Amino acid sequence: MVRGGSQGVRIGRLSRRDFSKLALASAVALALPRLARARDEPFKFGLTPVFLSNDLELLGHLRAYLSSRLGGAVELVSRRTYQEITALLVSGQVHAAWICGYPYVQYKADLDLTATPSWHGKPLYQSYLIAAAGRAVDGWSGLREDIHAFSDPDSNSGFLVTRALLAENRLRPDQFFSRSFFTYGHRNVIRAVASGLAQSGSVDGYVWEVMREIEPELVTRTMIVRKSEWLGFPPVASPKSLAGDPRIAALRDALVSMSDDAEGRKVLDMLRLDGFVVAPPELFDTIAAKVETVRQFG
Amino acid sequence: MSPFRRWQAIPLSFRVPAIVALLMVVISAAISERVLDRLSHTQESYLDGLAGTYLDGLSSSVLPAVLRGDVWEVFDALDRSSFVYESLAPIETVVTNSDGRVLAASDPNKIKAYSELPVEYASRYGTEAVTIDEDRKTGFARRELIYQSQPIGAIHAAFDVSHLFAERREVLVTLLVTNAIVAGLFAFGGFLLVHRMIGPIRVLESHMRSAVHGAAEPISPDEIPPGDGEVASLFHGYNTLVHAERERANLAMQLAEEEKLSSLGRLASGMAHEINNPLGGLFNAIDTLKTHGQTPGVRDTSISLIERGLAGIRDVVEAALATYRPERSRRPLTADDFDDVRLLLKPELRRRRQQLEWDISWNGARELPVRGGPVRQAVLNLLLNAAAVTPEAGIVSLRAKDTGNSLTIEIGDQGSGIPPEIAGILVDRDPGPAVRAGRGLGLWMVRRVVDELGGTASIAPKNDGGTAVTLEIPFDREDAEADAA
Repeated sequence: MVRGGSQGVRIGRLSRRDFSKLALASAVALALPRLARARDEPFKFGLTPVFLSNDLELLGHLRAYLSSRLGGAVELVSRRTYQEITALLVSGQVHAAWICGYPYVQYKADLDLTATPSWHGKPLYQSYLIAAAGRAVDGWSGLREDIHAFSDPDSNSGFLVTRALLAENRLRPDQFFSRSFFTYGHRNVIRAVASGLAQSGSVDGYVWEVMREIEPELVTRTMIVRKSEWLGFPPVASPKSLAGDPRIAALRDALVSMSDDAEGRKVLDMLRLDGFVVAPPELFDTIAAKVETVRQFG
Repeated sequence: MSPFRRWQAIPLSFRVPAIVALLMVVISAAISERVLDRLSHTQESYLDGLAGTYLDGLSSSVLPAVLRGDVWEVFDALDRSSFVYESLAPIETVVTNSDGRVLAASDPNKIKAYSELPVEYASRYGTEAVTIDEDRKTGFARRELIYQSQPIGAIHAAFDVSHLFAERREVLVTLLVTNAIVAGLFAFGGFLLVHRMIGPIRVLESHMRSAVHGAAEPISPDEIPPGDGEVASLFHGYNTLVHAERERANLAMQLAEEEKLSSLGRLASGMAHEINNPLGGLFNAIDTLKTHGQTPGVRDTSISLIERGLAGIRDVVEAALATYRPERSRRPLTADDFDDVRLLLKPELRRRRQQLEWDISWNGARELPVRGGPVRQAVLNLLLNAAAVTPEAGIVSLRAKDTGNSLTIEIGDQGSGIPPEIAGILVDRDPGPAVRAGRGLGLWMVRRVVDELGGTASIAPKNDGGTAVTLEIPFDREDAEADAA
């Protein structure tokens, strides 16, 4: 500021061209520390347990890819629950996060959609109600009095969809199921059902399908009782407060063009995804409707 | 045969190795028992340690989840721990809350979450850290979950301990095989050693066996082991014994011969008397014949006297011949034999002015199936002895009785009794010691006769004083059968 002041004192003696140069130089001088700070601070990317598992190899490739595309360090932040990641995202403590459609709908006012994964050509997925393989059960109503495994209270496919289904039928989980518990992970829901700890579970259909390829011995011990309608795939979102951050745009570009890059294709192959697309917020209206159903039933 | 005698009948070279092997078996059984006991303790403390570590680790990981009643977290901890603690081989782990309800079990299909813990789970624990059920080859352990001094639940764990038993069995088999091999080697070594040790004893034994059959030969110097002082001393001792025995036998034979000559001398002197006595009468008769031979009465009387005198002499000579001619000794006993003995004894009796009580109960048969020669010899010897020990003018007796199966002869005297060491020659099972003392050779000859004929002899004091020697001579069956045939 003192230096700036001394420069201002000399303004009167500078030519207009000089002034223009100076103004540009000042703007650059003012902008540089911010850019430098931005370059020093790693880009924080949050991951919810929607991820298949703590696959370190996948995380390594993802971080490498994002670092190369964002031109700086990327820190992958993961937490045990959706709630923790959502809180970090909404409060701006992470720059972007791959969250579930349910928290996105809940915090729509504070969040921007960065990109949405595309699976089998569409940014859509389903929620499955699963039970132990070979169990004679006719539809979801046959799961009454089960011990039921949910994924996460903030998960769309692992909780909201089933809760909404019950709400539509004027039921609450504690009335329909004898007991229920949260496993905080879709893979854990499959493990709980496969082991017999729970007789049924609510799970992300995408996770179930992908795991059927990766861990068939686990998944084949379960079967699908009900598939929900197609719903918006868990998106990558960023806080509205960072809308102007060029790295958010860079992230969107990186995600959308992931399939063009060798490292990116590795990530997509491991995730069994086609790529990322820019989808409109309306994609999540069906989820919002479920939230409303649940809210109305109470 | 009793087991002990049967055992004693087994040769020493087999008995010693058998005892060595038996000792090895006993020792190995004791060692095996100690090893297995020690192993069992080690295994149990190892298992206790492992189980303690398992339960400690599990406690700390499930405690927060148990506090929250988080079924999934408890199950997840159990599921993950089953891979971490593979060396412990947990079969089943159940975590209950403070109400005893199941939060999660490692096998939820067997024990459902939120269910009551089966009753048998509570009763399966003992006082040890890990209670082992040997039938099911399973170990059980329980750990209370304590938080801020309050029990909030418990962990019930079951472990597969079959590997411990397999290890024990393996050790037992190894011990048995090793000990069997060692016992076998020791037994074989013992056999070789004993066989080698008793080798010289076998030499001695074979010499002794041949000595029993009458040919006691000294051990040749080649067979005496140079290095073994004890055995050499034993062999030298044996050789000394053989030489001494030979000398004693020679002496005994010599003495027997002398005794024979002595008794023969007495007999001969008696016979000379017997012949001499009538000789005076015979010469008188001849003188009478010379002087008054023409007188018919005197001549006949003198010739009759000469004839009777000569007949007496002939009888004496015949009796002596019958007694001392071996070729006549095998013929059966007749009454004549006793008459001959009487005749032979007569001079001795007369010399000592003794009387002879004579009682022969004969059943009328001409002869008895007993060899006559030896019996005459024995009876004559006993009667001569009886006459010798009976005081002058005393009574000597002879009773002979045919019992149907045997002949019983009793010779009585009025002597002061027979000393035990002399009596032994006649009645002891082994007359050797008494004979070797060089005394009572007359009796020894009697004993030899009695043994030869398979009979027995006994000595008893008589009611009216003096001693009675009784011979029991069985009838010779072969002869009897041969006669019958």
